[in-house]
Amino acid sequence: MNGPRAWAALVGLALGAALPARAAAPDDPGLDPAEQAALEAALHADAAAVEDAVHPTPVVVAAGAGSSNPDISLVLDTAGAWFSDDPAQLGGHDPNRTGFVLQQLEMNVVSNVDPFFRFEANIVFAEFGVEVEEAYATTLALPGNLQLRAGQFLTRFGRLNPTHPHAWDFVDQPLVNGKFFGSEGSRGLGAEVSWLSPLPWYAELAGAVTNAHQACCARSFYGGDDLGVEDPRDLLATLTLKQFFDLSRTWGLKLGLSTQLGPNPTGQGNRTDIYGADLYLRYRDPGSRGALSLQVEGMVRSRQVPDDRLQDAGGYAQLVWDIDPEWSVGGRYEYVSGVEDDPLDPAWDTARQRASAQLTYYPSHFSRLRLQGNHDRLPDRDDALWGAMLALEVVVGAHGAHGY
Amino acid sequence: MRALLLTLICALPAVAQARLEVVATLPDLAALAREVGGDAVAVTALVDANEDPHYVDPKPSLVLPLNRADLLIVNGLELEVGWLPPLQVAARNGNIQTGADGYFDASSVVDRLNVPGGKVDRAQGDIHPGGNPHFVFDPRAAARIATALGDRMARLDPTHAEQYRANAKALHDRLDALAERERARFAALPASKRQVVIYHDSLPYLADWLGLTAVAFVEPRPGIPPTPPHVAKVLQRMKKAEARVILQEAFYPKKTSETLARLAGGQVVVLEGGARFDQGDTYSARITRAAQAIHAALSR
Repeated sequence: MNGPRAWAALVGLALGAALPARAAAPDDPGLDPAEQAALEAALHADAAAVEDAVHPTPVVVAAGAGSSNPDISLVLDTAGAWFSDDPAQLGGHDPNRTGFVLQQLEMNVVSNVDPFFRFEANIVFAEFGVEVEEAYATTLALPGNLQLRAGQFLTRFGRLNPTHPHAWDFVDQPLVNGKFFGSEGSRGLGAEVSWLSPLPWYAELAGAVTNAHQACCARSFYGGDDLGVEDPRDLLATLTLKQFFDLSRTWGLKLGLSTQLGPNPTGQGNRTDIYGADLYLRYRDPGSRGALSLQVEGMVRSRQVPDDRLQDAGGYAQLVWDIDPEWSVGGRYEYVSGVEDDPLDPAWDTARQRASAQLTYYPSHFSRLRLQGNHDRLPDRDDALWGAMLALEVVVGAHGAHGY
Repeated sequence: MRALLLTLICALPAVAQARLEVVATLPDLAALAREVGGDAVAVTALVDANEDPHYVDPKPSLVLPLNRADLLIVNGLELEVGWLPPLQVAARNGNIQTGADGYFDASSVVDRLNVPGGKVDRAQGDIHPGGNPHFVFDPRAAARIATALGDRMARLDPTHAEQYRANAKALHDRLDALAERERARFAALPASKRQVVIYHDSLPYLADWLGLTAVAFVEPRPGIPPTPPHVAKVLQRMKKAEARVILQEAFYPKKTSETLARLAGGQVVVLEGGARFDQGDTYSARITRAAQAIHAALSR
């Protein structure tokens, strides 16, 4: 019965749209001069109002075109994936179904605020909605080689955690990051102070204090339970030391040590400690675009639960060869141990191992197509889980540079 | 009393720091800064002579000179946008943040070429909205940078103001004379001989200075690697125009250019990306070598 009504509506719309044009025609026999004059006057008034409204716009655009606009970029990560069985990816932006996935649409906004602060935000649009992944201010000119950062940020634990999927060499997040920190990595609202040491090599110490809850980003701590802060020890503390050594003109070595300490919800005074070490060894002849890089990251975690102390560990090692500006290939091996009666991951009672290989093609500096295969041995399954992903990434706008 | 105060104020910078710490991104800019500053400055270059300045690894060790710097000299026009900003933030040094007195953007004092007129679209390749950033290949631009650097150093370190301005003036005049001498030498070649193929669109300033015509680029669009159909077109154009010389910087791949040169019966001239600053090279010497190599190839 909808058909006739829809037609009537369409006809009505068409008539409505045609009316002003007909009214404006001087020889329209259906309107008397007074009606025609009234309509024309109204049209003129509207046109003038539109012109008035439009006039200030070019001024705004001109001002915006200047350097005071923040750098805004959009990164689209989308993928098609296949899994041999139910997928068991841990990362919030990992392809986690057979079929197509919107991994994320990330909007990155960066600008200096004034001579004292720099602003940076990463707002992520995903299938589940919108989230402020990061939004923080960094000081630019504190004395004593100090720097402060405040807002919501990824903590600097390890090598991969502080970076975004756009800067990763593989389509998915390492398992150990997903298991220890959560689907979005270690992230929180808080403040960080860091200090560049006066040593002759690069050595930087950083300490951050963030809220200890959020299932996505502090799962070894309060996780989804916001138990409030009654004591400074109810906050999450992250300490890192990063050092870099120029081994030669072509070889660089970055070493990191990290620790994260905070409360867990299993009982009064129960704490979780995570310790990590990371290594990044990179070969690149400055005269070429090719590079070879080895990245290794390992973490151990200790949780006090009622009547027990649970200890597990995990890590990954990856080797990536950037053959030239267009092609890159890499392999990764991951191992994450399990514990019996784990309240967070009851099925993860023995080790999980995953091996991945990827081939990436960069049509330009702003787009990439990545094919990745995974072989995953889960503790609670008899058969290995196979996965294949083809991911497309495109970047538009003024995207900030990445760190080493 | 006033005299004493004045002496104190003047002596303060000299006491606080023996030499003005200067960091330049490109080795060419570092070489210019060293000539202008003389023994009153200590200069560090962040980029290697034969390193592509678009794609520098932002090694954390580069933060250390930036942390100490009184003056940071950048090329600008987004040439360093892919690696410098995070280093600048990590340097924790208010002196060299964008807009501060110790931040010198060389592109602000040169006449820019290839400023896109309409909307900038990345489908055109990796183009720079403010204009082509590779002006260090023109000694006339370098001369203007030298003068502006002299003024900036004089402002930051008034004790040596006279020295900076005098050095800058002398360098400016030397570079202008060099530019004119080479320009005249190239102008003596017939126009048909002054045709070249260029790998990346990085040499419009050099072409403008020496009166060269670029008949084609080996890259189909800036930053996009050459494809077989495009290279075939380049060869066609080379043959039609009888252009025999391909120009490129050392950090671009050479196989395609070498093959093209062989098929067109010409040669590739590989230009150094910049002055060999760490070996004491000067900008004048480096740019003269480049002009001579091109002239020799064109006159064959």
